[in-house]
Amino acid sequence: MNNCGQFRELVEAYALGALDAEERVAFEAHLATGCKDCAQAVEEARWLVNQLAYLAPNAAPSDMLKARLMQTVRAEARAAQGSVEPKAGIPFWMWAGVAALLVLTVYSAWDARRLQKEIQTVNESAAAEFKQREQLQQELAVAKRQAHILTDTNSKKFAMWPHDTQMPKLEAMWHPELGICVMGQKVPMPSSNRALQLWLIPKAPGSKPMPSLTFWPDAEGKLVLMVENPPDVMADTKALAITEEPAGGSAQPTSAPMWVGGVS
Amino acid sequence: MFLAVLTPKDSSEVSPDAMLVHQLLQRDVDAFEQLYDRHSRIVYALVLRIVQQASTAEEVVQDVFLQLWRNARRYDSRRGPFVPWLMAVARNRALDHLRLKSERQRRREDQTEELPPVIDFPQFEKALDEKRRAERVRAVMGSLNAQQKKVIELAYFEGLSHTEIAETLKEPLGTVKSWIRNGLLRLKEGLQATT
Repeated sequence: MNNCGQFRELVEAYALGALDAEERVAFEAHLATGCKDCAQAVEEARWLVNQLAYLAPNAAPSDMLKARLMQTVRAEARAAQGSVEPKAGIPFWMWAGVAALLVLTVYSAWDARRLQKEIQTVNESAAAEFKQREQLQQELAVAKRQAHILTDTNSKKFAMWPHDTQMPKLEAMWHPELGICVMGQKVPMPSSNRALQLWLIPKAPGSKPMPSLTFWPDAEGKLVLMVENPPDVMADTKALAITEEPAGGSAQPTSAPMWVGGVS
Repeated sequence: MFLAVLTPKDSSEVSPDAMLVHQLLQRDVDAFEQLYDRHSRIVYALVLRIVQQASTAEEVVQDVFLQLWRNARRYDSRRGPFVPWLMAVARNRALDHLRLKSERQRRREDQTEELPPVIDFPQFEKALDEKRRAERVRAVMGSLNAQQKKVIELAYFEGLSHTEIAETLKEPLGTVKSWIRNGLLRLKEGLQATT
């Protein structure tokens, strides 16, 4: 540290900025070693050099310089304040966010309603399909049962003759376990609010006819009646009869038989 | 001993300049205006002496004060008074202007640069106002011989090194070094003697 002698002569010139590069680098390297005496001398010399500023002749800048400076400074202060302090009210981006949220909400509601309708339509369609399938299954079961009744050797076949000779003859098949099947063609449609009804006429003297199903021929006059569970057994039944009755059916015949067929 | 008049820095004593500079950190425009009103004349005078042209001097002074406004945090009031630091900034900026003008490489206005260290006052200096300070420096400077005065001014106002001054004056390098050192020591003694 106390190799300062050679550097002490450089202190004032260093503070003045007059050292050539080589000397300046060497002196700064010495200062970097932590020499407090030289650092103190440099600080003192800097003050001395600073006094030289007062040798400059008095002069004043124009008012325009101050005006320009203040204009710049005020603009920068306003800009800095604007960048720090949040503006009053809701910023544009928030309004945009709210608008986007509203649009999304409306769209979601509309889409949910659309989906609900689609689901309802699909459900209704599925229910109709299911119902149709059930109906077809029932029809298939009836057809199978009819086919069985018609082909099984245990079935008893007999004719049902019309009271009116203009009416077609019907055919009946009775299987002891599967039931009764009545078929015919060109059967006239009963009048409005009326239906055809099947009756089982018991053998026992004085017994009343046993009511069975009410039915209608189709639009072409084709008649297929299937009675799965007859109200009475074939052995106790003397004959089958068909009358025209009110659409809801009757407990006892209210009209004369239109077709009658003897069972045994 | 000259060092003996340097007093420890009193951190509890806050100068008006230091307070104003502190207010600049809060972007206080009024504080900036006060600082400008207090020191723009001496800064402008120094810069004009260096660059020798009024319009250029105003340009440099504008740069100096804008640098102060934008980088006030770079002045540390605990290390010394504000004015010497500001003067050193102004001198450096003016000398840079001179050098770069000759190289046609003007710096951009907002370019940051290495700032000078803060310079503390000796105790006897603290009470002097600007006018008395100038009168005293001029008086002591007037007591130097012509060579000493010339080389010091070439170094301070034109930023010339020992070698450049020697070439300019066509004098031996050792002689120039001697003139500068002896002149500054004489100046220091004179300033001490007039307090």
